[in-house]
Amino acid sequence: MDLNDKIEKILEKVQKAPRYTGGEMNTEVKGWDDCPLHFGFCFPDTYEVGMSHLGMKILYGLINRESWSLCERFFMPWTDMMALMEEEQLPLLSMESRHPLNEFDVVGFTLQYEMSFSNILAMLKMGRVPLESRERGENDPIVVAGGPCAFNPEPLADFIDAFMIGDGEEVMTELNRVILERKEKGFSREKCLKELAKLEGVYVPSLYDVRYNEDGTVASVTPNCPEAKTSVRKRVVTDLNSTYYPEEFPVPYTEVIFDRIMLEIMRGCTRGCRFCQAGMLYRPVRERSMEKLIDLAEKLQASTGYEEISLSSLSSGDYSCLPELIRELMKRMKDKRVSISLPSLRIDSVLKESLEETQQVRKTSLTFAPEAGTQRMRDVINKGVTEADLLGKVRDAFEGGWSSVKLYFMSGLPTETTEDLDGIADLARKVIAEYFNVPKTQRAKGLRVTVSVSVFVPKAFTPFQWAAQDTLEKIIAKQEHLKQVLNIKGVTFHWHEPFVSFLEACFARGDRRMGNVLKRAFEKGCLLDGWNETFRYDLWMEAFRECGLDPAFYAHRERSKDEVLPWDHIDSGITKQFLWHEKEKSERAETTKDCRKGCNGCGLQRWKGVCSYANARSV
Amino acid sequence: MRMLAVFEKGERIRHIGHLDIQRSVQRGLRRSGLPVAYSNGFNPHILITFASALSTGACGKREIMDVTMAEDVSEEEFLTRMNQAMPPEMQLSEARAVDQKHPALMASLRAAEYDLLIREKDTADKLVGAISAMMEKDAVLATRKTKTAVRECDIKPLIYELKGEGQHIYATLVLTEKEACKPGMLIEALAKEAGIEGEIRVLITRTGLLGMDENGNLVPLETL
Ligand code: SF4
Repeated sequence: MDLNDKIEKILEKVQKAPRYTGGEMNTEVKGWDDCPLHFGFCFPDTYEVGMSHLGMKILYGLINRESWSLCERFFMPWTDMMALMEEEQLPLLSMESRHPLNEFDVVGFTLQYEMSFSNILAMLKMGRVPLESRERGENDPIVVAGGPCAFNPEPLADFIDAFMIGDGEEVMTELNRVILERKEKGFSREKCLKELAKLEGVYVPSLYDVRYNEDGTVASVTPNCPEAKTSVRKRVVTDLNSTYYPEEFPVPYTEVIFDRIMLEIMRGCTRGCRFCQAGMLYRPVRERSMEKLIDLAEKLQASTGYEEISLSSLSSGDYSCLPELIRELMKRMKDKRVSISLPSLRIDSVLKESLEETQQVRKTSLTFAPEAGTQRMRDVINKGVTEADLLGKVRDAFEGGWSSVKLYFMSGLPTETTEDLDGIADLARKVIAEYFNVPKTQRAKGLRVTVSVSVFVPKAFTPFQWAAQDTLEKIIAKQEHLKQVLNIKGVTFHWHEPFVSFLEACFARGDRRMGNVLKRAFEKGCLLDGWNETFRYDLWMEAFRECGLDPAFYAHRERSKDEVLPWDHIDSGITKQFLWHEKEKSERAETTKDCRKGCNGCGLQRWKGVCSYANARSV
Repeated sequence: MRMLAVFEKGERIRHIGHLDIQRSVQRGLRRSGLPVAYSNGFNPHILITFASALSTGACGKREIMDVTMAEDVSEEEFLTRMNQAMPPEMQLSEARAVDQKHPALMASLRAAEYDLLIREKDTADKLVGAISAMMEKDAVLATRKTKTAVRECDIKPLIYELKGEGQHIYATLVLTEKEACKPGMLIEALAKEAGIEGEIRVLITRTGLLGMDENGNLVPLETL
């Protein structure tokens, strides 16, 4: 039976076949033989998740734009598909031309969340690429990775040949050029990796040696060859207007999670919330101009036919001319029946005016993220939002005709007490009261308040990188307490699986030895850990035991100031000193101002011309 | 003005369900920039209907969409712009402008033509060989599955034409709003006749949708 026949046979049996069939609008932009360099872009989760991801659309367009490189997509198959593929001995194939993964020159993974790590191993294995970097030969692809989780690359150091740290738009092409050059000139894999290490923002883990102290902490991470830099500095694109942004997106046939035009209006955030890794990693703040955004919106609308545009960024409400942007977009999109939505509303920055305009088009539920229940706790995490702010915005929303509100909180934050948990319930009650304060004739029917409480996971490059995560017993006790106090009429309470957050914490601050655990867990059958139905906590714990590692060492241990952290050789631009200072302030519940109001000296001010706010006013 | 357009659902996307195909056509229309009419109301949608839903797993050679236009456009322009706006697996082959009062396609639908490719040669030979014997019977029984019930029915009166050639079975089967013989029912009956048990792998392609002209002849629906 030939390949296509086998595929057809499988597709007849598998659930949700369209996940695997491709042929979507705006894909398959080029032919395999038209380009010398083949890039296999792997999203280590299902099609529906991967196709919702903006970063992938950007890089897909960016690589395919170059005349010499081609990019095709790979996603993590669901378990039924994996079983069928194994039965037919089919390798992991690209969505576009159905080439196996190991026939690509570069295999690139995007690292969005730690719980996708086992899928990386699974995809490599199905794609017949040797799992570990050291096992790969001259004819195997170069395996690279980027995205937020690349900032602590150590748990994946055994499996990834080269990491790209920071913004990908420039370094991606530079990296591909090196690999193309190797292909043309035929130099060795080793030389290629060393060449890659010379690029700014590229970290090649095999060129570094790690030593450990007796207590298990890291003693040092040092380069073992001259090409490797002592510290790898993240890449930053300084001007978003001149940075590549796609003018067309692949449009899936089936519904995916975010099935709309995503317009990245800015990158970075100046708020300085202390739990937020993205807020630190994506500094400094850079805005796309209104003219550029309107131009992109019109082109994307024409090339996709989407019905909705969402403005995307960490803190869209902070965009300097948000009301004008929304007004202009609405004006131009009205005849095209395109609605505009704002996904990450900051409760203290959305103007009532814009809310009223949004409402003309579509009334989805509004999302607010106070993150903590009391003012003290919000000061600890530097979430610069007061109860009055929140309730004011909620009132505006109810008066504007909304009746469905989602509130996001975290539990397990450093210094949290029962009072802070009770504060969550208090806030929910006050939100309900605001609704009933609006006269019956003016408010929309069907009040729905959803309270989601996630488990806090301390992350690298945040002021809480030294903090201990709550133990499972504590988390479970707190969730029980929340269930009781949130048993309020009109409130739906959602909480997060604590076991997943525990494991996430191990990887988020893990060292290279976590790679052994990952490999062992994968061999035992762990994969698709982000999904309840496939997550196997028991197998993960077995893997830790067999590797002689204690997960509590990674998740529940408070680090000291002078401990070498496994990611210390990665330079995010933010200094360790600044983060420590922020940690100390958090212990005193002292806030730090938004750095648009004046530079707080996070470290980026040292890089010339990178942060426009730091340049505007010296430290 | 309404535009009746014939389009394809290619083999690669045959597992896409009808709702997703509908949405894809709508997005194609939005990409084309053609002046389509929208419904009024809070969530405006394009005024479009499809002659018949094609099941998941089946390909279609001549599926028909019926789009209400806000302004008149020529058939050529409709075709050109839509073909630029649609993915390769969903290209259009014909368009015909009709006036607003033209009867609804669904109501005029009488039958559909199918090309059933039997994947295994042995099975194909047996099924093709069983055609004449089966058609000589007074009644041909097959199971009809609806949402609520499974029952036996006689599909003989629902078969207009049936012939075999190599690994293909060509069939013209009744398809109206009320009554239909699905290709699966036909294969089931043929398998019974040929004494084949177990799963039969068939690639179903609906090659045409038919209506009836004033002389009682079956003709392509879009020409009525
Ligand atoms: S350098 Fe200053 S202004 Fe720029 S992000 Fe850091 S603290 Fe904010």
